[in-house]
Amino acid sequence: MQSSRNRAAYGFLAPYLLIFAVFWIWPIISSFVMSFQNTRINPWTFSPGANWGRLFSDPAFYNALKNTMIILVIQVPVMITLATIMAVLLNSPLLKAKGLFRFAFFAPVVVGEVAYAAVFRLMFNLDFGIVNKLLNAAGIPSISWFAEAPAAMALLIIAVTWRWAGYNAIIILAGLQSIPDDVYEAATLDRVSKLKQFIYITLPLLRPIILFCVVLSIIGSMQLFTEPFLITNRGGPGGGTETLGLFLYRQGFASLNFGYASAIAYTMAALAIAISLLNLWVGREPK
Amino acid sequence: MAELSLKGVVKRYGSYEIIRNASLDVADGEFVVFVGPSGCGKSTLLRMIAGLEHITDGEIRIGSTVVNDVEPADRGIAMVFQSYALYPHMTVEENLAFGLRMTGNPKVDTQRRVQRVADILQIRELMKRRPKQLSGGQRQRVAIGRAIVREPQVFLFDEPLSNLDAELRVQMRVEISRLHKELGTTMIYVTHDQTEAMTLADKIVVLRGGNIEQIGAPLDLYDNPANQFVAGFVGSPKMNFMSAEIIEATDHSVTITLLNQGNVRVTLPVERPRGGSGERVTLGIRPEHFVKAGQGDADLTIKVDVAEHLGNTSYIYANVTGGEQIIIEREESRNETNRDLLTVAIRSSHAFLFDSDGNRLR
Repeated sequence: MQSSRNRAAYGFLAPYLLIFAVFWIWPIISSFVMSFQNTRINPWTFSPGANWGRLFSDPAFYNALKNTMIILVIQVPVMITLATIMAVLLNSPLLKAKGLFRFAFFAPVVVGEVAYAAVFRLMFNLDFGIVNKLLNAAGIPSISWFAEAPAAMALLIIAVTWRWAGYNAIIILAGLQSIPDDVYEAATLDRVSKLKQFIYITLPLLRPIILFCVVLSIIGSMQLFTEPFLITNRGGPGGGTETLGLFLYRQGFASLNFGYASAIAYTMAALAIAISLLNLWVGREPK
Repeated sequence: MAELSLKGVVKRYGSYEIIRNASLDVADGEFVVFVGPSGCGKSTLLRMIAGLEHITDGEIRIGSTVVNDVEPADRGIAMVFQSYALYPHMTVEENLAFGLRMTGNPKVDTQRRVQRVADILQIRELMKRRPKQLSGGQRQRVAIGRAIVREPQVFLFDEPLSNLDAELRVQMRVEISRLHKELGTTMIYVTHDQTEAMTLADKIVVLRGGNIEQIGAPLDLYDNPANQFVAGFVGSPKMNFMSAEIIEATDHSVTITLLNQGNVRVTLPVERPRGGSGERVTLGIRPEHFVKAGQGDADLTIKVDVAEHLGNTSYIYANVTGGEQIIIEREESRNETNRDLLTVAIRSSHAFLFDSDGNRLR
């Protein structure tokens, strides 16, 4: 009886398991094997040094890694801080038309990537972009956003922050709303100021949610592809904004070196997991 | 310690009046209980005293100070919340010390106060635990501790026991009572449980629909309810109400007939009778005030619906016509079973009469 019921259950699960095996498990295993193969010759041969050896000595890889880390180290804290501030503002009883603001903050996520990239390219155009016009109005000379590597990097950080800060704010807002009002009322009766309530009550209680957002953002930053591809013109200028995601794409789909691309992919995944675990460990709840 | 008074306090949300003209005097060290059904405004009234809700009109005075516009933290009150409202990420010790620490109270004094509270409430062994590692009763104790540590002039309790199981509720009730004796501080306590109100209070304030229906000592309310609502709310099991009609009203008495009890007649002593023959009234009798047949002023025969035997006492439930249920408490009724016919008597000296508006006819 039990085993026939199990069979029926597996029967229902079979279509999913089949698709999962073909499109998930098999590529994961296959790409892992591929990372140990020299895929630049035909037939492919087992040659661990071809990809993994190259990875550790390739200046282009280190450039992409450096760019990704700069974005991650600057963009994630800035975005999470902004998202927390936005969430607190959205949660304020003084704010009218909350629904409208919630939608406005979340809207960048649903805007098509190509459209958003095009708008950013226009806004940051050297000659007629609104950003430079505003800078000029403030007495600051125009910045060549696409021709100078630091400016292009800043542009990427601004773009990614614009796109994802609202998304994280909505997640943090959910966390804020789960903190009961009477905890704040108790603190008010304890003569604790609003600022101290935020520092000593809100932030510690939001910690799991903020950690979740940080981990999601780290994974997202490690895989960053759309923005450097579309906004800064394929990692330009001169590889100045080339990220690991873009480097992987170029190796895999421009140079068709699948073995090397697989090794990059595994390195990216390992880094994302390591940084996320470190983050979870640092932010763990004290015993 | 301080006395507290409310004068014509009103709370309005838009055009909706939550509290209507509430006036009350609480003496220094008194234990006052606000009691009433859900939505009667008792918690709102408490929160207005705490300063967590603004008052629309009237005056609240704590000690000699009018506190209408005084910040909650400056009113000299401490509050225990229904949900405990403990800081979940802090240990018990940190919860107790947090307010003092944040306001720059000297460390030595904070420690002394926290230790004193730990001793009073016997929570020394819990000091390093977090709220989620505590039982409901322990959490409530910590919440009370957090209030004590502030050394307030007035304690406010907002249904503090309603999340506890029945046994623990009784235990905590006794502890709160002991605490009041020990500290001697003015306490205001909100509950919907009339048993809590009766056992804890020096003075009970019964609320309904934003109105104070009656203020008095527990037994005063029990023996002398001002109206049908208070009569029904105070006492467990609740008072029986029977529809009746006035047959005759003289200078000092009223004779009525019970409409759903075979037109049994009863004459009750009433000092100032109102209304005349034919007026609808309600007769109220507490379950324990029925006596054996022939020993009262009028006999009543009922059919036993359900008999609950609790050992020391029994409750007889009888459904009669007109949807009226009668509950009779009898000490020696172990033989009564369902569907028995039972004759009991009403003593007019222990019965209450209410007019059609629910006001008591005295």
